[in-house]
Amino acid sequence: MNYTFQWGQVTGHIPYLAGGAMIALQLAFFGFAIGMVVGALCAATKAYGPKAARRLVDAYVSFFTNTPLLVQIFFLYYGLPDAGIFLDSYQAVLVGISLNAGAYLTEIQRAGFMSVRRTELDAAATLGFSRLQMIRYVVVPHLLKTLYAPLANHYIVMVLGTSIAAIFGVEELTGRALNVNAINFRSFEIFSIAAGMYITLTIAASASLYWFGLYAFRIKAKVF
Amino acid sequence: MFATLIAEAPRFFTYWNMVFLATAVGNTLVMAFAGCGLGLLFGLGLAVTRAERIVHVAPLRWLAILFVEVFRRIPVLVLLLFVFFTFQLLGFSLHALAVGTIAIVLRASSLFAENFRAGIESVHPNQWDAAEVMNLSPLQTLRLTVLPQAWPVILPPMTIGLVGMIKATSLASQISVLELTFAARQLNQRGFSALIAFGTILVIYFVISWGVARLGASVERRLVPQHRRA
Repeated sequence: MNYTFQWGQVTGHIPYLAGGAMIALQLAFFGFAIGMVVGALCAATKAYGPKAARRLVDAYVSFFTNTPLLVQIFFLYYGLPDAGIFLDSYQAVLVGISLNAGAYLTEIQRAGFMSVRRTELDAAATLGFSRLQMIRYVVVPHLLKTLYAPLANHYIVMVLGTSIAAIFGVEELTGRALNVNAINFRSFEIFSIAAGMYITLTIAASASLYWFGLYAFRIKAKVF
Repeated sequence: MFATLIAEAPRFFTYWNMVFLATAVGNTLVMAFAGCGLGLLFGLGLAVTRAERIVHVAPLRWLAILFVEVFRRIPVLVLLLFVFFTFQLLGFSLHALAVGTIAIVLRASSLFAENFRAGIESVHPNQWDAAEVMNLSPLQTLRLTVLPQAWPVILPPMTIGLVGMIKATSLASQISVLELTFAARQLNQRGFSALIAFGTILVIYFVISWGVARLGASVERRLVPQHRRA
């Protein structure tokens, strides 16, 4: 191996890369938020909807969880203009990530709904809880307890998943690493720094989600 | 939208296009199966190395933890590029397919190690003590006592992990491995609409992943007794 490491050419770009990390977090956050809404609607449909709607939700979930996110976004990015819908790369990636997240979050939230047992609600009714009190003291604590850990894990998986956006020209952490690579071709140095930043980012996200769960909801969640 | 699809279909589903796609499916499967097979092996190895009841050398355990924590927190795309450029730096010229497989193996072994670890830790410590009293060696204990009880915890996330690895191979298209996603991009660039090119491979991916999910479910039926299934 006759290669001289040139970390100095790359370290100057670290603030630029850190800005990309913020975009990755932001993209994951928006995708997660939209995915939560989609997932809640689908989970509610699966629990209470008519049979045809339930079938449709099943098809959506199994299709989006069994195919790669990358190909889904390719399909949206190159396919939607044929249908007369024009999205820029950030929007296409966000739509793809949200739809993908929606499918996973449907399953996670459905499992949460299922964990509230009929008997618990009956017991609360016997104790004279009003409907609001029931939701406040029985349903919500239960949902939080069962859902917090899987949701937090999925958010971190999504942060890693946003690196796909680089392929479509969104300048998040991986995209910016590719940009720096195009400037000085110190590929090994750049991608090891980018990898290190992803590790730091997800460890920080894990730790903050753990502490947030502990102090806000008193849940000891095992986060990724 | 559907009119173009129907108009294009006879031009798209020709013999040579199908041969092209079949080659791509082959490469996807090679990466997925080699990656998952080795990943399962190394994953179990890492989980065993991490188990305090088996390995009594703390630095070895720390190394296993470090490996797992590093590789499961790097996105597959960055891992692929990292492996790709590391081999360039070392002066090897490796086939892109091999680079893709190595990246998948690294990722799979770190993810699967966590699944195995969760399973091993779900078995009560008394079981280890009892097996020790019966004069079983640590590895015998693992094989005969712990793993049979751990399958209900290991298998469901493992199936999801295997499907995840098949989906992760799509990223190898970025280092020019001729797998399904790369093939679809080529077909798209040759003038077929994205609808038909990417639509077709979405269906192929779905069939492969669905098959693996079914396989996982049947393994689960075989290894986990009825009353312990989730």
